[in-house]
Amino acid sequence: MENIIEVKSLQKMFANQTALEDVNFHVRKGEIFGFLGPSGSGKTTTIKILTDQLFPTDGIANVFGVPSIMLRKKGYRKKFGVLTDNSGLYERLTVYDNLKLYCQLYDVSFKRITEVLAMVNLQPEQKIVVSKLSRGMLQRVMLARTFLHEPELLFLDEPTSSLDPVNSKHIHDGLRQLNAKGTTIFLTTHDMNEAELLCHRVAFLNKGKVQLLDEPQKLRRKFSDSTMTVELTDGRKIILHNDLEGSKELYTYMSTGQMASIYSNEPTLGDIFVEVTGRKLV
Amino acid sequence: MTFSLKRVVAIFEKDIKDLSKNMFVLTSMLMPLPLAILFGSVSKEPSIQMHYLVINMAFALVAAFVQCALIAEEKEKNTLRGLMLSPASTFEILSGKSLLSIVLTVITIVISALLTGYHPANFFIVALAIFISIFFYIALGTLLGLLTKSIMEASVITLPVMLLFGLGSFLQALTAEYPQLSFVEYLPNIQLELLATEVQNGVGITDVWSQLAVIAVWVVSACILVVVTYKKRAIDE
Repeated sequence: MENIIEVKSLQKMFANQTALEDVNFHVRKGEIFGFLGPSGSGKTTTIKILTDQLFPTDGIANVFGVPSIMLRKKGYRKKFGVLTDNSGLYERLTVYDNLKLYCQLYDVSFKRITEVLAMVNLQPEQKIVVSKLSRGMLQRVMLARTFLHEPELLFLDEPTSSLDPVNSKHIHDGLRQLNAKGTTIFLTTHDMNEAELLCHRVAFLNKGKVQLLDEPQKLRRKFSDSTMTVELTDGRKIILHNDLEGSKELYTYMSTGQMASIYSNEPTLGDIFVEVTGRKLV
Repeated sequence: MTFSLKRVVAIFEKDIKDLSKNMFVLTSMLMPLPLAILFGSVSKEPSIQMHYLVINMAFALVAAFVQCALIAEEKEKNTLRGLMLSPASTFEILSGKSLLSIVLTVITIVISALLTGYHPANFFIVALAIFISIFFYIALGTLLGLLTKSIMEASVITLPVMLLFGLGSFLQALTAEYPQLSFVEYLPNIQLELLATEVQNGVGITDVWSQLAVIAVWVVSACILVVVTYKKRAIDE
């Protein structure tokens, strides 16, 4: 599969502080790639380098097969969308007028405004002045603006960080729809559930380095201790190994009607992150 | 290089919509008018210096200050980055962001001239010189806006600039006593006033080309500085 982003030995220094030390990864065309890490791990710095908002100190950061610095060429601007902490809206204008401006800048039909507002569950608020919106609503308008031109590649920096579960679900559904249409999504988050729900592959970033990279399911399997927990009707919890001995024991509980429930002890992505980095995701 | 008028107009349209709710810009635009009313009422034939005190004030307050505030606000609210990341080119964004200030400056100058009763002997030459000067003040405002991070900072940084370019003619009076101030003679506001005086004395465009050239040099220099600063601001430090 073709790579849409290629990062090799990427380094970024701010004065004497190292933000990215040696970052290596690639993002395949058409996938949702999760870039996970705690606050200050370098996620936003990476997005800014990839979207030509920051120069790397060293290394390669290619997007669409060209160095990210080339993205300032007009032809590339329409191919990607970006939402970071430095995205903003015109507070004295309505939601509709904010999006209308971007329709004109990207040569997109105004009809698209209704579509993107539906994606972020904000259709009724389109005539409201932006300064009157809640933080979560602002985030959704900014997301809508990012989707507006149906970019080939979408960079989203913690897109649901200030949203409630209902609106997060709307956003997730919208992202899946976009991805189904062919949009590649580069998503940074410290929400492990979000990563598990959406991402085809995830990378763990810690202290300026990618510590681990794989599909969520493969990572869980890799870090699993191959056990399962059986809850019995008398309230006891029994841990069984995934072997012949365990299967015999499981059969006994099942055949005697003692088993109340059973679940795998596979770790969550959060557990794996803590195990690999020794840090919690905050 | 392609140029999209549609994008320029889109940014201008957005600024126009925003203007009705932007008290800061509206009040700044009205500030030179009381002075024009005063000068128009105290003297039946105000001097060229009086006319140009008002016109230079319009340049400093509307073209430079308002433009600086508009750009600074885009930076403060993180909206400039959105424009920079869009397909709009540097020229399209800067043109779109300057149109409102240009229109407001022209309106303010025309109203001020009507209030002070200014009738240039050669309308074409004076209009041309004023139009070229507007570009200098717009570029100056854009530059200062790009250098600041907020409207508050912009208000402070533009003060000395407004004094220098708005009230430069007062400094000119001091050049005999303080030769180190002789540079003020080459300021665009002084050159414009000089040109207007010459025109009022009946000279043609061939006699004022040096003043026009000096103003044009200021415009080009300011525009180059704007583009360089804009490109630097497109990248985080």
